[in-house]
Amino acid sequence: MPIEGLVFTKNPVELQNQLLMGFISITFNIQSHQAVLVKAANNTSRQVTLPEVEFSVVGPKEALVESLDTNLYLIRKRLPIAELAVEEIIVGKLSKTRVAVIHIEGIANRENVETVIQRITDLKVNQIIDSSYISQMIEDNKHSPFPQFIDTERPDRLAAVLGEGKVVILVDGAPHGLLGPSTFVEYFAAFEDYFLNWTIASFFRLIRFFAVLFSILVTPIYVAVLTYHYELIPKDLVSTLVISRSGIPFPPILEALILELVIELLREAGARLPTKVGQTIGIVGGIVIGTASVEAGLTSNVLLILVALSALGSFTTPVYQMGNTIRLIRFPLLLMAYFIGLIGISISFCFLLVHLLRLTSLGRPFLEPIYPPRIYDMRDALIRLPFFLQAKRPIEVQTEDTIRLEPKEDSKD
Amino acid sequence: MAAKSDQISTFLVFFLIIKIQIGVGILGYQRIIIQSAGNDAWIAVIISGIIYSFGIWGMYKVLNCHDMDLIGIQKRLFGKWLGGLLNIIWILYWLMVGISVLRSYLEIVQSWVFPQINTWLVTSIFALLIYYVVLGGFRVVTGICFLGICIPSYLILTFYFPLEYTHFRNLLPIWNHSFQDLALASKQMSYSYLGVSTLMMYYPLIKNRKSSQKWAQLGNLTTVLVYLFITILTIGFYSEGQISRYIWATLSFWGIVKMPFVERFEYIGIATWVLVLVPSVCLYIWVSARGISQYFNIEQKKIYALLLILLVVITNLIKARKMINQITDYVANIGLIMEIPYVLFLVCLSTVISKKRKIKK
Repeated sequence: MPIEGLVFTKNPVELQNQLLMGFISITFNIQSHQAVLVKAANNTSRQVTLPEVEFSVVGPKEALVESLDTNLYLIRKRLPIAELAVEEIIVGKLSKTRVAVIHIEGIANRENVETVIQRITDLKVNQIIDSSYISQMIEDNKHSPFPQFIDTERPDRLAAVLGEGKVVILVDGAPHGLLGPSTFVEYFAAFEDYFLNWTIASFFRLIRFFAVLFSILVTPIYVAVLTYHYELIPKDLVSTLVISRSGIPFPPILEALILELVIELLREAGARLPTKVGQTIGIVGGIVIGTASVEAGLTSNVLLILVALSALGSFTTPVYQMGNTIRLIRFPLLLMAYFIGLIGISISFCFLLVHLLRLTSLGRPFLEPIYPPRIYDMRDALIRLPFFLQAKRPIEVQTEDTIRLEPKEDSKD
Repeated sequence: MAAKSDQISTFLVFFLIIKIQIGVGILGYQRIIIQSAGNDAWIAVIISGIIYSFGIWGMYKVLNCHDMDLIGIQKRLFGKWLGGLLNIIWILYWLMVGISVLRSYLEIVQSWVFPQINTWLVTSIFALLIYYVVLGGFRVVTGICFLGICIPSYLILTFYFPLEYTHFRNLLPIWNHSFQDLALASKQMSYSYLGVSTLMMYYPLIKNRKSSQKWAQLGNLTTVLVYLFITILTIGFYSEGQISRYIWATLSFWGIVKMPFVERFEYIGIATWVLVLVPSVCLYIWVSARGISQYFNIEQKKIYALLLILLVVITNLIKARKMINQITDYVANIGLIMEIPYVLFLVCLSTVISKKRKIKK
């Protein structure tokens, strides 16, 4: 029969499984117990569309969709080689979700691949609805607010990291792929960085790091300074601050907490509503509530500026989940700033650093290349150097084949 | 031998050595050495630096000869009882240094930022932080030491501000003090370099330990250069009469830092100093816990809680400034004997023993 995907089987369990997956069973002879399974499932799925979460002005504009087969095709068309290995695992007692673990043989470290496969096979769950289920269940540290797998909807990004030697996980029904092992700095690298000239890309990346640092620290510093360390600010600036705060009935910590929570509220409301209503809410919240609360004397306008800027800063992270984390970790810092001022901020910053130091992604250090310091990997971390300077694959991944760019001359090193 | 996952890259020894030598002392060591050696104090900085370089050489000699940590070496050389006693002295010494570092920092916080701070609360928070670090194992301790150098290193830039008012002519005439003065100043300066002995505990965890000496020496050299720079700056910036009134001379430098958005930079400096201080205390706590676990055969993780409770309690029991000074001096004096002469004695002893064994064979 000229039909693709024919399966002959005698096994009644398999027969049943395949029937439930949309196959037709044809039995020729009852005595032989053999059946032919013909694939007849009507796979309705969304068309491949523009990436919406990780939008980029330049570069490919395809995003993953909910169908695993389409997603695999999107990756395979970018890597048409025999070494691209796909391992499929069925997970979930109820959902029977197909999970594909993809890597390139000869480049990816076997250990990484086996860790991922092992962790997925060990899962004893009922349902896998989305790839984020998998990422939460197989993370190294399940209690950390930091994501340890990068979540992306761009097939081009997945293809690129496969070439770096990383492992990619795709889940049927999920329009997002996971990739690991990942490092902290990777979460601040937009994939668009690679489409721009390296000087511009590096500048943008540094801006992003600065924005995130600013976003975490600025409100705690405001609270610490205005609660304890007035002397820290020069005379002229202090007068500006005092004028903006005069007549405000709340202590700085309460003021900051209220405003931060208002921003979170706006974000949450915007996220839950349809796009157009969400925009309106943003305008109403941002402009009307902001101005009104300053005019009513509930908050100082300096703090309003700082909180709005820090919210903006947290939105610069290209990976959505990291942005959430950045917004969350501001609150413990705020409280510590209220209790012991600048020293409290330092201590909680230390806690943050230690937490990052202790984190691993698939057993590889998360803070690499900052610690353990690896100069080579620094070429694509805080800044991105041109491609010809990145002849080797990142050390972090411990690839089997480390050379990415063949040298032109036959020179060593 | 240690598990491979616990081992650290060889060049990280560089950072561990710098970290342990630059702690709270650097904020106010100048007064003491300038009182004894005046404008020649910088020579004392170099002399004691060379002595420490010699000490590191000695430590590597002993360690390479036995290829185990200090606890094992002392057990082997002096037997169960005498070796055990020496081990306990070392462990207590490390613990006490860690405590005195933390206490000195709190003293600074009390006298500069928060006079009324609740020390129990703050030390408990510090203890929690340290506990979180040391539970991560030696790699995390090294990591925080590394970041504890990289991040606060921006403070070096702030010394640009006093540079403007520095009169380098204060250094002249060179060598106008007697040898006794210089010797005294060198001895006092040595306190600032204390802590290198921790090397003898983490030595087995270095990847290419036998060839790591150059990194340790380089670390020591960097420390000497930093101290030298600050000493020369101090001599040029303050007059001798003035310096005797400044307990924390380095902190006072920050008094003249002026930026359009920051008036009193000391506050930022002191807050950043948390990142300088926590790693050293972590390293001391890790080393003492390691010592105990090696000597008594207890799992290392179980000891931390006890050590940190001790840290909190003792730090809070030491209250008066006088008492802090006394304890610091006391610990430093013991350390001075143990880190240099005692190590050299160990070098002699192990060479004699290894020669004897060769003859026997």
